Amino acid sequence: MHAALHPLRRPRTFGLAVAALVGAVALAGCQAAEPDASDEPVAGGTLRYASGDAEPTCLDPHVGGNYPQALVATQFLESLVSLDESGEIIPWLAESWQASDDGLTWEFTLRDDVEFTDGTPFDAEAVKANVEHLKDPATQSSTGYLALGKVDRVEVVSPEVARFVLTAPDSALLESLSQPWLAIESPAGLARGMDENCQAPIGTGPFVVDGWEKQERISLVRNDDYVSPPADARHEGAAYLEAIDWRFIPDAASRYAALQAGQVDVIDNPQPDTAAAAEKSGDPTWIDAPRPGASNRIELNSGQAPFDDERVREAFIAAVDVNDGIDSLYFGTAERSYSPLSSAEALAYSDPDLFETDLDRANALLDEAGWAERDDDGTRVKEGERLVVRFPVSTNQSVPAEQSLFEQVQATAKEAGFDVQISLLDLSSWYGALFAHEYEIVSAPYTKVGPDVLRILYHSDSITPAPSGYFANLAQVNDPEIDALLTDAASTSDAAERADLYERAQALILGGHYLLPLYDQQNSFLVANSVHGARALPTVSTPTFYDAWIAD
Amino acid sequence: MPVDGGSSPSSTGPPAARGGGPAVRHVALLVGGAVFVMWAVATLTFFAIRLIPGDPAQAILGGPGSQASQEALDQVRLDYGLDQPLLAQYLAMLGRLVTGDLGTSYALKVPVAELLGAQVGGTMLLAVCSLALAWVLALALSLWSTGRGRIATAVGQGIELFAAALPHFFLAAVLIAVFSSGLGWLPPVATGTPVGLILPVATLAVPLAGFLAQVMRESLLDAMRQPFVVSARARGESALGVRFRHTLRHAALPGISLSGWALGWLLSGAVVVETIFAMPGLGRTLLQAVTLRDIPVVTGVVLLVALVYVVMTVVTDLAMRVADPRLAGEAR
Repeated sequence: MHAALHPLRRPRTFGLAVAALVGAVALAGCQAAEPDASDEPVAGGTLRYASGDAEPTCLDPHVGGNYPQALVATQFLESLVSLDESGEIIPWLAESWQASDDGLTWEFTLRDDVEFTDGTPFDAEAVKANVEHLKDPATQSSTGYLALGKVDRVEVVSPEVARFVLTAPDSALLESLSQPWLAIESPAGLARGMDENCQAPIGTGPFVVDGWEKQERISLVRNDDYVSPPADARHEGAAYLEAIDWRFIPDAASRYAALQAGQVDVIDNPQPDTAAAAEKSGDPTWIDAPRPGASNRIELNSGQAPFDDERVREAFIAAVDVNDGIDSLYFGTAERSYSPLSSAEALAYSDPDLFETDLDRANALLDEAGWAERDDDGTRVKEGERLVVRFPVSTNQSVPAEQSLFEQVQATAKEAGFDVQISLLDLSSWYGALFAHEYEIVSAPYTKVGPDVLRILYHSDSITPAPSGYFANLAQVNDPEIDALLTDAASTSDAAERADLYERAQALILGGHYLLPLYDQQNSFLVANSVHGARALPTVSTPTFYDAWIAD
Repeated sequence: MPVDGGSSPSSTGPPAARGGGPAVRHVALLVGGAVFVMWAVATLTFFAIRLIPGDPAQAILGGPGSQASQEALDQVRLDYGLDQPLLAQYLAMLGRLVTGDLGTSYALKVPVAELLGAQVGGTMLLAVCSLALAWVLALALSLWSTGRGRIATAVGQGIELFAAALPHFFLAAVLIAVFSSGLGWLPPVATGTPVGLILPVATLAVPLAGFLAQVMRESLLDAMRQPFVVSARARGESALGVRFRHTLRHAALPGISLSGWALGWLLSGAVVVETIFAMPGLGRTLLQAVTLRDIPVVTGVVLLVALVYVVMTVVTDLAMRVADPRLAGEAR
């Protein structure tokens, strides 16, 4: 027996030797670089970025227009204007701008020293071509198309001056133009047609799309002739990094493991526990960059029973307790919001007093509203109808922590006699439920720069569905006073008046018990300590690596 | 035992054909069967996808949230023939398939054949390596533990059962935690190098090895009770020698017939493994296509996997004849 087993021994020893060798090689490769003591930026190197967002199907953010496109487009495309950290509009490809007194024409003076990376000059003709591209139905733009809703056309005054002609005054024009979905691309690049342009759009940015291997990586290389950083950048000229290796790692745990193992330098969409750990330890660095636009909130469908009764809406909000859930599920990385707007919005208005949990008050309100009886489950009943709250949840848009939070909403609302029925749905089915009005509450993110998002979400015009069935006013707020405030705010050119109008509108929306704000739309990054100078652009909080460098 | 009907040993090989040209008839049956299976798969996929809620025109325009205009929707319906009746769309698809045209991806706007062609290599490499490793593990385990007394048998069976029951996503997480985050030996996401392939292959191979070993053990035990084992031992063969030279062939038979099924099973496992280890491949392509309602790509992947099943069934059929000359004799 012993002799017979002997031949097996050698392979086993050999296997161990191989394992040891593999281990040694792997260890050598993963040896962490010694931190560089100096703060002097070092040129060169490749930054490896791992995204957990979906891989775009087209790299041109004009086409469709979603967040995954914005993430990567920020590296190679630029907009006319940007935002600084205080929310002020700052110059980018446009040096200055002037609106006419009636607010119907805007003249943008453009930089005259910028070229697209294919050699095409950046000028007013290019701006005109981009606006036309966005407005052309064949482009299939939705985000950019909506943002240009009031723009009729662009006129070329001179190569350096582009005139936007509007159909109505638009106080949100600059904020709209700052978004990556309205970035300016080479007209020659656009002329290649959608299929080719989707593979490698041509812009003026610090990096250039060098190649796109589907499901593997987007290779970005430095634009050596780069001259046009936004006004809040920390240096001039070409980027420090030689290249960016943009990868897609859909699984959050693998993504974090890859960062820990030194396989990548930056990851997005970290899980709350890893973000919290990084916040405490400082290694890796946690960049918290909540998205602008609306806060994440639960909206109450006021268009049908039972939430067409304001008392029932108020009762629901008074019954539900989310604070403990937010603390424990997000490990302190998400702060409770009491506003319809993201905290990234300068004009966000909060009213915490409206959202105190008070079960007695909830019960009293429901009794008063006629939901006085309860069935065997403890669910309230009125005229034979149970107090059912259908809650379709999109698994694409709600991370597991948020889904758990919704279960706590369900549990706390039950005490007041609400039967909250959560259904986890994929995106198409979720939209299907919304379009069919098969919901009493819903949570839908909405990213946009500026408070004009309130008009999209709460103006009664947004109850009317688009041809696709889509409507943004999910709370079905139909209040002429709110409509008037939002319409006025969108057209006033006076900053103080605009702020006042938006505050009054938000106070009315919150006071009408149409929504339960939760927290900002979570968006954050983990950055290895060897990477310096990475930041999120204050527009839609996408990362920019123009100022970034890797310590060696 | 997780065996699908078509690949169990008893049904392998049609009974000896009477009359002229049995080999020709055998081949004709195989090819005819294959074509029928492919047609059935294409048809089922075509109609099943339409049961999922969601408008294909919306999918083409970036999903229901994209707020596409009516003009854009109409244009797309016209361009893609979505305004045609369902039966016309079905026939048009069949017509394209017959000419080998898998259509164009709704989401990526590139030909499906090109898209799958770029991804099939990685997935096949993953599947074949996993199958090979599973075989090695299963053989080692069953040869070691069979007929070695109750303890070895119990341990062997326990390992098999445990391995076979491991879900891929769980095993992957454990392997990453131990070998990447813990020991730091292996990269947690695929790197395109052989080292990066180790964890994904292990994730797919271990549960499969459990299945294979379970089946092999049965036949190995059977074979070891046969008189020829006693006579071989009487001739002075060592216990291990008997196992390798005589009983292994018997143990391998059900394993081979399972391998056709296993390769298809590995392709479905690739959906999970490719996602976790961030590897490019058919699995991820399929997942993305289903999410985006990208009907041509889903159909293309399903057809490709069906083709693999069909080809593997034929190959295992032939391999069985080599491993077991009795079957070959039967057919002739």
